[in-house]
Amino acid sequence: MFANPAFLFTQVLNAFSLGMNLFLIAVGLTLIFGVLRIVNFAHGAFFMLGAYICYSTVQWVGGRGVAFWLGVAAAGVVLALLAWGVERGLLRRLYDRDPLTQLLFTFALVLILGDAAKMVWGTEQYSVPYPAGLDRAVDLGLVFYPRYLLFLCAAGPLVALGLWFVLARTRWGRIVRAATQDREMLSALGVDVTRVYAAVFAAGSALAGIGGALAVPRLALSPGMDATLIVECFIVVIIGGLGSLWGSFVGALALGFVTVFGAVLLPEWEIVLTYLLMLAVLLWRPWGLWGRPEAGAAE
Amino acid sequence: MPRSVKLLVALLIAALPAGAADPIRIGVLYPTSGSGAVFGTPAVLGHTMAVDEINAAGGVDGRLLVSVVRDTKLKPAAAAAAAKELITKEEVHVLVGGLSSAVGLAISEVARQERIVYIATIPKTIQMTTTKLHKYVFRTAPNTDTEGRGLARIVGQVQARKICQIQFDYAYGHDLAAGFVKALPEEAPGAEIVLDLKAKLGATDYSTYIAQIMASECECVASGLWGAAFITFAQQARPFGLFDKAKYISGGEIASHEIASKMKGDYPDNVWSNAYELWYHAQSPLHKGYQEKLAQLQGRPYTDSWPVLSYIGVQFFAAAANKAASTESDSLVAALEGLSIETPVGPRHIDAQTHQANTGQFWGPMQKVEDYEFRIMRPVTYIPGD
Repeated sequence: MFANPAFLFTQVLNAFSLGMNLFLIAVGLTLIFGVLRIVNFAHGAFFMLGAYICYSTVQWVGGRGVAFWLGVAAAGVVLALLAWGVERGLLRRLYDRDPLTQLLFTFALVLILGDAAKMVWGTEQYSVPYPAGLDRAVDLGLVFYPRYLLFLCAAGPLVALGLWFVLARTRWGRIVRAATQDREMLSALGVDVTRVYAAVFAAGSALAGIGGALAVPRLALSPGMDATLIVECFIVVIIGGLGSLWGSFVGALALGFVTVFGAVLLPEWEIVLTYLLMLAVLLWRPWGLWGRPEAGAAE
Repeated sequence: MPRSVKLLVALLIAALPAGAADPIRIGVLYPTSGSGAVFGTPAVLGHTMAVDEINAAGGVDGRLLVSVVRDTKLKPAAAAAAAKELITKEEVHVLVGGLSSAVGLAISEVARQERIVYIATIPKTIQMTTTKLHKYVFRTAPNTDTEGRGLARIVGQVQARKICQIQFDYAYGHDLAAGFVKALPEEAPGAEIVLDLKAKLGATDYSTYIAQIMASECECVASGLWGAAFITFAQQARPFGLFDKAKYISGGEIASHEIASKMKGDYPDNVWSNAYELWYHAQSPLHKGYQEKLAQLQGRPYTDSWPVLSYIGVQFFAAAANKAASTESDSLVAALEGLSIETPVGPRHIDAQTHQANTGQFWGPMQKVEDYEFRIMRPVTYIPGD
């Protein structure tokens, strides 16, 4: 099969689009961990909510064109507001507690949001077609490839560059980076650190929601979709190094390629392969590809 | 699940006016929650409809039928536990239902241990009537050999030579593939499978499989991806041009109205598939009567196709109980073996040795037609069971 260049090319694009979709979601997780030092189990649930919100918006608005993009925007906005509320109302009370309490809290969120989603959307499986304009295939010379997946391939690097720009080149980015280094100093300098935390948690969760909405046309929606995804996200950020933007980019790509080519070459091993990849990285560089040794030890 | 609650209440009320004779208690097992509910709920409806008709006509041998419905949640363990509870606590005389091959095998095992007759109305794995056959299990659904032969016959009819196969990686997918491969030399001489893919049950991303099919030389895809999985697969495969490149021939009843009405204009071209019953294909007066009643219950003229399976299961049980004039398991077994009845979709007969009814399926291409926003099968061919 691999002698066939068209096949190889398609699979590389498949791996890339899957990886970029994963990146869009995982980068929010890594951002939140970098600043808040919280391992947010509920990130997968936020992803699922984003997907369902997009689905409902498409159903409500109707049509194939603008409805989908409204859904993506709605997913981002709703998740940002929800996350802001969660952080201000609940999570901020737990910063001084031990990490286990925080873990329990985010895990409780997973259960609550999962059941809430079942109550609102039921347990049926839904799918949403590709949005108008991106629903056809485009001739790449070698193969025809769906435009929507190409769009995902492009969206990943664009978001990565955008985030990098914000973090590295703006005042806001400097504050966020400072918050990862030394909260007390930042606070002493007159920056309201609690608001930085809330903003980062909201932004990271909005990315999960948007990533979920963008995943809708290439997946199907069903309860339990968050469980698979959160595992994949953790693998991505562990491979890349917790808290690292480019690490999660590379980690997501690696996972995309292992998943896609694993399914073709070693279908029986498909499930294990991603874990093996994580294990190999952990043995070689316990702090992840892009992480720094001290970053591996969470507070 | 308000609808299932409503059904339960209706069933309980139906149970109230039990006359002088003890009622006959039927244990009913379908998924009424979770991803199986989309077919399980219509199946319960078909069951209720048949029971109500029989009770309205005076019941069986002067005894009314009472149904006790349990949710299998599409899980073998839950189904087995529910079946045990129905037998020991509810003291049912018979078990009917099952949806999914794994669930069917689980219920069948309980029936064997407890020596209670089980009429499998939906599960298709061939194992139930071959390697795992026992005295008390009967199947009124088609089996995977029958369906595989139907699949092979359509491949022969469209004269496809190179075939890609994609099936689910569990009992149903494996057995359907085996039935298809077995029938292929006779039904489609010269055809060969050039690519054989197994998709995880519950998979939602099919892009790697689609890429492999697109890179292969096949003219036809043989499949059994059923239910919502087909909808997802089709949506992902269409932009790749899969349905332009190859004819898509599938078991799993994706020609049923449940799927066609859900997909409407998104239903892809070049699909041949099967269904248990089609509202636009009512031939006999019996079928027309069934149609009208179901349309009334569902509140729409375009009815679902799964109710007929549970309906036929009840018909068979009632006929057997009538013939045996008893609800004792061994007499029911004797009555069911070799029993023939008239159903809305034609005459059916249960083989005395294999305990398998000669249930077939309707096969044909899914066409766009005027007047409807969804596709319908045209022309319709009935491919009978053995």
